[in-house]
Amino acid sequence: MREMTFIHAIREAIQQEMRRDESVFVVGQDVRGGVYPHTLDLIDEFGPDRIVDTPIAETAMHGVAIGSALLGYRPIVDFMFASTALTAFTETAVMTGQQYFLHGSKHPAPLVMTGAWGIGKRTANDHAMPIHGFYARQPGLKVAMPSTPYDAKGLFTAAIRDNNPVMMPWCTGIMMLKGDVPEESYELPLDKAIVKREGTDVTVLANSEQLQFALKVAGKLDGEISVEVIDPISFAPIDMETILASLVKTNRLVVVDEDFESGGFAATVSARVVEQGFDLLDAPITRVTFPNMPIPGGYMEDYLRPNPKKIEAAIRAVCA
Amino acid sequence: MSLTKKDMVTLYTNLVRADHYGKMMYSRMMQGKLIGFYHPAEGAIAPGVGACSFLNNEDILFPHHRGHGITHMLSKGIDVSPYIAEHAGKATGCCRGRAAWHYAFPEHNVYGTTAYIGHNFVPVTGFGWAAKRNGTGQVVMNCFGDGAMGTGRAHEGLLLSSIWDLPIVHLCENNGFAIFAEASEMHPTEDMATVAQGLDIPSVLVDGQDVFAVAEAVNAAIDRARKGEGPTFVEAKTLRFKEHDIGNRDLRGWKPRSQEEYDEMAKRDPVNLATERVLADGVLTQNKIDKIHEEADKEVDAAVLFADESPIESPTEEELLADVYAPR
Amino acid sequence: MSIDYVMPKLAMAMNEGTVNEWLVSEGDHVEKGAIIASIETEKVAYDLEAPDTGFFHIVLPVGETVDCGTLIGQFADSEEELAELQKAASLSEAQPESAQATNEAVSTSPVAAPAPMRRPGGRIIASPLARKLANDRNLDLSFMNGTGPGGRIVKRDVLAAAETGAVRTQSPVGAAGRVEKARIPFRGTRKTIAERMTQSLQSTAQLSSFWESDITDLLAARQKFVAREDKLGTRVSVNAFLIKAIVYGIRRVPIANACLEGEEIVVFDNINVGFAVSMPGQSAFDSSLLVPVLHNIENLGLVEIDLRMKALVARVRDGNFTEDDLTGSTITLSTTAGIAPPGHRSTPVLNPPNAVLLGPSTPIEKPAVIDGEIVPRTLMPMSVTFDHRILDGDPAVRFMAAVHDCLENPELLMS
Repeated sequence: MREMTFIHAIREAIQQEMRRDESVFVVGQDVRGGVYPHTLDLIDEFGPDRIVDTPIAETAMHGVAIGSALLGYRPIVDFMFASTALTAFTETAVMTGQQYFLHGSKHPAPLVMTGAWGIGKRTANDHAMPIHGFYARQPGLKVAMPSTPYDAKGLFTAAIRDNNPVMMPWCTGIMMLKGDVPEESYELPLDKAIVKREGTDVTVLANSEQLQFALKVAGKLDGEISVEVIDPISFAPIDMETILASLVKTNRLVVVDEDFESGGFAATVSARVVEQGFDLLDAPITRVTFPNMPIPGGYMEDYLRPNPKKIEAAIRAVCA
Repeated sequence: MSLTKKDMVTLYTNLVRADHYGKMMYSRMMQGKLIGFYHPAEGAIAPGVGACSFLNNEDILFPHHRGHGITHMLSKGIDVSPYIAEHAGKATGCCRGRAAWHYAFPEHNVYGTTAYIGHNFVPVTGFGWAAKRNGTGQVVMNCFGDGAMGTGRAHEGLLLSSIWDLPIVHLCENNGFAIFAEASEMHPTEDMATVAQGLDIPSVLVDGQDVFAVAEAVNAAIDRARKGEGPTFVEAKTLRFKEHDIGNRDLRGWKPRSQEEYDEMAKRDPVNLATERVLADGVLTQNKIDKIHEEADKEVDAAVLFADESPIESPTEEELLADVYAPR
Repeated sequence: MSIDYVMPKLAMAMNEGTVNEWLVSEGDHVEKGAIIASIETEKVAYDLEAPDTGFFHIVLPVGETVDCGTLIGQFADSEEELAELQKAASLSEAQPESAQATNEAVSTSPVAAPAPMRRPGGRIIASPLARKLANDRNLDLSFMNGTGPGGRIVKRDVLAAAETGAVRTQSPVGAAGRVEKARIPFRGTRKTIAERMTQSLQSTAQLSSFWESDITDLLAARQKFVAREDKLGTRVSVNAFLIKAIVYGIRRVPIANACLEGEEIVVFDNINVGFAVSMPGQSAFDSSLLVPVLHNIENLGLVEIDLRMKALVARVRDGNFTEDDLTGSTITLSTTAGIAPPGHRSTPVLNPPNAVLLGPSTPIEKPAVIDGEIVPRTLMPMSVTFDHRILDGDPAVRFMAAVHDCLENPELLMS
């Protein structure tokens, strides 16, 4: 099997889906030139009608996506940096999320929204900010993120094929992460968490770059504490089944999320675990998140965000 | 409005300083001493210098993101070394090391920026409204590129400035590019000004490589604004010598820019053009010109030294959390 | 003081870089701003400028890809310093990340020895899981050691306590100085049993009689069956003999196998023996009772009766019984043999609408008189309750005498 970087795996998903289905296209700012490699040179194969550059106009960019989706196309709208989608939050979240349900659940709006995020790259708040927490709260949207090249191709393929609007941001911290990726087309379920490492003492949920950190910590603690690492994959809906099944074994939960502490995935999953698995818990649920402050640029990002040190400390506290 | 000799010297000096700073920033980026991005303004410094050299401290400035506002701020008379430190992530930076490549100098009426293109129109509308209400003749200098004209924000900002006759100079530094996409493809007309005209804002086109022409046009606009006559749209046609941000490829659309293009652009280097003019008009001697370059070098070196010698502060999470809200 | 030069992070997406070529040589004196290396990132190639002036010591070899921020070279102020850098480089092959690591060492102090198990105010601090485990096993948390953070009682503490067995069950203090062990809901089967028992005692004219049967010979006969356990497919029980004896008794006195239905006493032809089975209750303290029915046993042999009885009891205990299994009894056997003290007698409550209930109990070794000699014999105490509305003392005791005769003379079972 060939090795491929995370960002190129995304590109392959887009490319293979565009070959398979005429209605798939990419719209965004400078997707032809390709600021990031995932749309690089696709214009040579598909032409400017299907790799569509727009002016800097996030609302209208998304307008191209939602409108054409309702008329049978399957757009991928690329906001370049995830937080610029927030410029058009009403359109990308509220309008898009409510479209199918409020109109009688008759006519779906299949589209994929994406953009780059990732704290720790010294790009300051606006380029680093995660948005999966914001979008996961919006009813009607599916929100998921891949953490490995193999998952990236499978999940982006699934997102493009799904008939619902899917927000699938991608993390710059793992952009160059290499991994084996099959040549043929394949899908991974958008709503299923994946156990990335089995263990018996504590369950650690982690995604994107944090998954790599969690696996690193789990390896370091091998022999001392047996850590089960689960990639939640889906932030809306959340795969509680897999998480609870793990807790039956471990009775301890650490939730790692590179997002602000308040009101995000970590908070939601914690509340649900208490509701659905109260008696499974032998220790309080511990979250490792970014503190509730705008992301201060530069050197502070490194020690403020979740990192292997913090993950290890949380695991030890929960297993004490 | 014609420029005095003194004005021209001021403009020329600021242009040289901006040029030296710009080259220093590029160099510094390549040395790994800047955090975040740098969007070089090489070839595009004349509009900022021309527009800001005659602003008062009370005037409100929203610099263009290209060149990270250094050109605009130094022309307005702001000491930019705290910005150089900020961009190096230092505690002595104007934002205490938190803003990465952004800046704010509230004491000089520069209130900060974000990464969202076209967002300048948002607070600028408020600056204009407050300036008008203050009634002391404050002017808002709103600087942006052709890329920003695609956003809905731009339309809204221009619209309100027009219907309310706000004292804003909308300086559009049109270099023909957003990142890769060309303005000619992303805008239906050659001039961005047609949008402003459509909103009943008086508009002016000016050669953005000619710092003196820009100054004249902008000064007229500033005058109008101070007299309460409302906004003006000044479109400076300029050039971008380098890539959008250092480390990105320099494409036109999706193909690399050609050497011919670079060569053509080099012929319109603003510093060269200005030098020719000041010499031709007898405004400055070569000696004085050399001195100006020397002083600029010293100024830049001092800023660099300040940045390099400043410490990196690592406040704790608790200290930072305590700073999220302003005191009641 | 030497100055470090790291792989610069240029551009939004740059994560790593490779030095394609060093454009200066090791130890060269380099001026600030000079181009000293040609590097390559994921996207573009660059010429790197020297950030300082000095004697340049190369750290990163050509062709190696490193993350941004990794040391690639150093600037020395003097040639002496350069020499030191070069020497240090050759020595430090496998430098462990010592200082860094210890500074970042995470505090791992385990929780101190057992802290107070009750907080002020009396609340016990225990994890949800620990509480559930303790509750399930009826263990009292207040007597447990908490080894979790802050003295919290966690799963391992409950398991440890359960193992020692010395932990008392929960004991909340009730009113009137009585300490409660448990509170069992009075509902469902328990309530049904209560109602039926009460109703039986109040609506029938029942009374009990007692005697002892010498089963020494019966037990000897049984041994012949037991010895052939494999061939017979079952270890024939004493209960099977009892049931056969009941059949014998009914044959002699049919009205013992009767019920009162409205205005008629119905005497039955077939014999369905109700067989009282004790079942688990709702808690560790109480029990439940079912009376499944062995249908049509009047013509069955000992072995067949034993097999069916055991299968029936198994079905009942597994919960696989049907409605039919619980209905249609014409006479009931409720034995406490093996459980009650030897020689135990009682006044068992009739199982309406049956006219008769037999309650054998644990046999007792006693001296008996046989042919004028005192010999040790095994005597089974029999308590029988009958409904005087249906049969009077005469038929009742004649039935008992017949059963007694059969028990003492097992050959009669062949009749």
